[in-house]
Amino acid sequence: MKQHPLCTDCEQNSKVMDMPIPDGLKREWATLQTRRRFLGRSGKVLGWAAMASLFGEAALRGDVRPGGPKPAVPGREELKLPHFAPKAKRAIYLFMSGGPPQIDLLDYKPNLTAQFNKDMPDSVRGNQQLTGMTAGQSRFPVAPSHWPFKQYGQTGTWVSDLLPYTARMVDDLTIVKSVNTDAINHEPAIMLMNTGNMNAGKPCLGSWLAYGLGSMNDNLPTFVVLQTKTNPKENNQPVSSRLWSSGFLSSEYAGVGLRSGGDPVLYLTDPDGVDREVRRNMLDAVEQINRQTLEEIGDPETNARIAQYEMAYRMQTSVPELVDMSKEPASTWDLYGPDAKEPGTFAYNCLLARRMAERGVRFTQIYKRGWDVHDNVTGVLPILCQETDRACYALVTDLKRRGLLDDTLVVWAGEFGRTVYSQGGLTPENYGRDHHPRCFTTWMVGGGARPGLTYGETDEYSYNVVRDPVHVRDFNATILHCLGIDHNKFTFKFQGLDQKLTSPVPAYVVNGLLA
Amino acid sequence: MAAGALSVALLLLPEIIKLDGKPHADWLQFVGRFHPLAVHLPIGLIVLVPVLEMAGAFRPALREAAGFVLALASAACIGTLILGFLLAYGSGDTGSIVSRHMWGGIGLAIGLLLCILARPAWCGGGSTRVYPALLGCVMLALLWTTHEGGSLTHGADYLTRYMPSPLKRFAVFGAVNAAIPYPDSFYAKHIHPIFESNCVACHGAGKTDGGLRLDSFEALMKGGKDGPVVVRRDAGKSILIDRVTLPAGSPHAMPAEGRTPLKPAEIAWIGAWIRAGASPSDREVAGVTIPSEPKDLPPEPVGDYSRWADEIEQMRHSQGAKLLPVSARPSDGLILSTVDVAPAFGDAQLAQFEKFAPYVVEANLARTAITDASFDILARFTHLRALHMEGTAVTGNGLAKLSALSRLNYLNLSETKVTADSLVPLKSMSNLRHVYAFNTAAQPAPGGDDAKPSPGGAR
Repeated sequence: MKQHPLCTDCEQNSKVMDMPIPDGLKREWATLQTRRRFLGRSGKVLGWAAMASLFGEAALRGDVRPGGPKPAVPGREELKLPHFAPKAKRAIYLFMSGGPPQIDLLDYKPNLTAQFNKDMPDSVRGNQQLTGMTAGQSRFPVAPSHWPFKQYGQTGTWVSDLLPYTARMVDDLTIVKSVNTDAINHEPAIMLMNTGNMNAGKPCLGSWLAYGLGSMNDNLPTFVVLQTKTNPKENNQPVSSRLWSSGFLSSEYAGVGLRSGGDPVLYLTDPDGVDREVRRNMLDAVEQINRQTLEEIGDPETNARIAQYEMAYRMQTSVPELVDMSKEPASTWDLYGPDAKEPGTFAYNCLLARRMAERGVRFTQIYKRGWDVHDNVTGVLPILCQETDRACYALVTDLKRRGLLDDTLVVWAGEFGRTVYSQGGLTPENYGRDHHPRCFTTWMVGGGARPGLTYGETDEYSYNVVRDPVHVRDFNATILHCLGIDHNKFTFKFQGLDQKLTSPVPAYVVNGLLA
Repeated sequence: MAAGALSVALLLLPEIIKLDGKPHADWLQFVGRFHPLAVHLPIGLIVLVPVLEMAGAFRPALREAAGFVLALASAACIGTLILGFLLAYGSGDTGSIVSRHMWGGIGLAIGLLLCILARPAWCGGGSTRVYPALLGCVMLALLWTTHEGGSLTHGADYLTRYMPSPLKRFAVFGAVNAAIPYPDSFYAKHIHPIFESNCVACHGAGKTDGGLRLDSFEALMKGGKDGPVVVRRDAGKSILIDRVTLPAGSPHAMPAEGRTPLKPAEIAWIGAWIRAGASPSDREVAGVTIPSEPKDLPPEPVGDYSRWADEIEQMRHSQGAKLLPVSARPSDGLILSTVDVAPAFGDAQLAQFEKFAPYVVEANLARTAITDASFDILARFTHLRALHMEGTAVTGNGLAKLSALSRLNYLNLSETKVTADSLVPLKSMSNLRHVYAFNTAAQPAPGGDDAKPSPGGAR
């Protein structure tokens, strides 16, 4: 029987070329042929070539690391990170999703009390567009902080009464009051903080670190994300796994989210009848099949899949030990408070972050939602502070007294600040605040950050930055610098661009923040 | 002749217009302040003269021009000199740099006059050496005078402050620091540096504005033409505080001429020091605590371990414990990381890493199976800067052996079995600045007092 002309299992080329068909058709057929051969079953040779280009020189030399799959991107040895001796080896990022109001927390503006209910001068706002939420307002009355501020520590830093625990550690913190961003709404703002770009698709800070620095502990994920259980009283803005995605980097560098209620990882224990040996054999078999697929198709994500299976296997033993708090001394509970015994709370997550720091997890990001206080600031903000203030202090103190703060960087940040003018009605008892990108306050402490420093200044309305602005990109560049990475040199070629965390727009390490 | 009379007049000028350090009429300063502006004209013209003379060897017309330019230069130089005198006389500036600059300028003017005298002989072919030699001297005088003038305006260390360190050995000019009698005092450590970096450029040995020098304690207390600037125990009456706290645009604000004002913290320190008695020897001043954490020593580079690279890789596969580079620079050293195999890592395994000891700068042995016997082995890791032993079973018996580690800066013994007694040998290790013994018998974990927030307003 005659073979179909498009069948690649036998040489039929010449017959087709002899046919009295238009040349265009012949060319198209020839193209189809080559493509089919490239991807076809008989492409084992080509599959190896694909793998070689994916694995780089190392695979061709036969130098494949036993016991673990190689990522299909420039190997870590080629990256040569950190570029210089780092001050911090690991980082913990406390992300206050929603945008904490700086005027009520850390940016002390005593003159605003006299401005209560006065309209904010138009000159301060300039030509900034109003958000859709406040554009309809006829007035923009100034809402001073409902809570008094006091000075603390040797540095005499002013801290609001809402943060009594943070106030105790001001001599250690580097408070940055002049952070500013470009985005006005949550999703693009968090994307900008995390990935350097308002649009999705770029890797986040944790993924860059996982890719560049790798893990210190093979048995735990390099990049862990902890979500805090939401409080229905608060205005919780969504966070999604897009925020800790690895973008164009291999997906094994994506953040591993531990669950915020019940077991941190589901199905850690093997079911009855399956012991570690059996599990291992099963995984080996799955890996073999995956590798075959990799040879045939060459999708680098297969490597990520293999790596994640391996990590899951190791986590079966390491995670139960990680979350077993029974051996914690009583002083831990005295420090963190009773909330820390309940999985899913911010205090528990902070304690877990400290334990992960001890065990060499490179980057932990904790999300605390609910800071989006568009209204009812006096009602909601105290709850938020009560949930977080003590835990932040506890985390920093715990790391410090255990000798880990020297080489751990702790960052506290939201995605933007909040307006000085009230959103909605303003009464002596209550007010709301809208999003505000032009200035907000963050702090950092630990390896590389200069203690007891307040950096940057905003104007008397806490609306514009008047001194030492720190754009979010510069903030990220500084974080990378503390971890020993030059943000300009740490790139990944994708879509014809040398991509980096700080985006193509120039960014500068803020030397004033460094120790 | 005219030139001779002029030269003598120039030489006598400092006697005629005595620079007595007192300011005079304002118009003198107004006119005199054009000196730094006008000075560029003679400089340019003087430099042009040798250029024209040399180019004139190829183009004779240029040589004719050189004579004209020389005359212009001389006139401009004398004019500028007069402006300079008016400036110095009017503002009352004195100081060694001022007088050197003045004599340099006078010498330059006289030199130029001599050049004018000597030039016809050289042009005519009579003497071939006098004029070029004179011109050479004039160029050297110009270099020196202008350098002194620049030092007056910008400070003696203007050119050398940002010099790369390898070249600093060649910087013979620049500030000479007199020995400070009490180097540990508050004055020496915090007050004197403020004056050095902000004030001494105009109130120092080289330039003494207002007769006030701030480069030593005696001079500071002596004061200037307005009398003492520091009144002991009374910051309110001290003119120094007065001047540095004036608003930025004010004519008498110090540092003058729009230079960066002192930082509020610096002014506060000076005020507190004055209120405490303005002592040159006191180490502390009431009310001021400056966090004086002595900085850790900079890390030392380790030797080249590239020939061990294969063995290091091999150790990772056989042992599980890893030697990771601190950074891309091999000289930053290696970190011994045992976190993946901690329960199985004991003294015997540690001993296997001894051959890499000269390159290991940090050892993370937390929660491993090591014991007190490991101190013997660790004592041989001479380049160790940081040692993590938290969560191990060590009791501290034999901790004294670690005193061999002169570079050890950080030691973490949290949650081990050490006691206060066993930690005593560590006190003699001068570089060991960071010791942690949390939750041990030596430093029991604190009780419930951390639960209370601090009262506010603690200032």
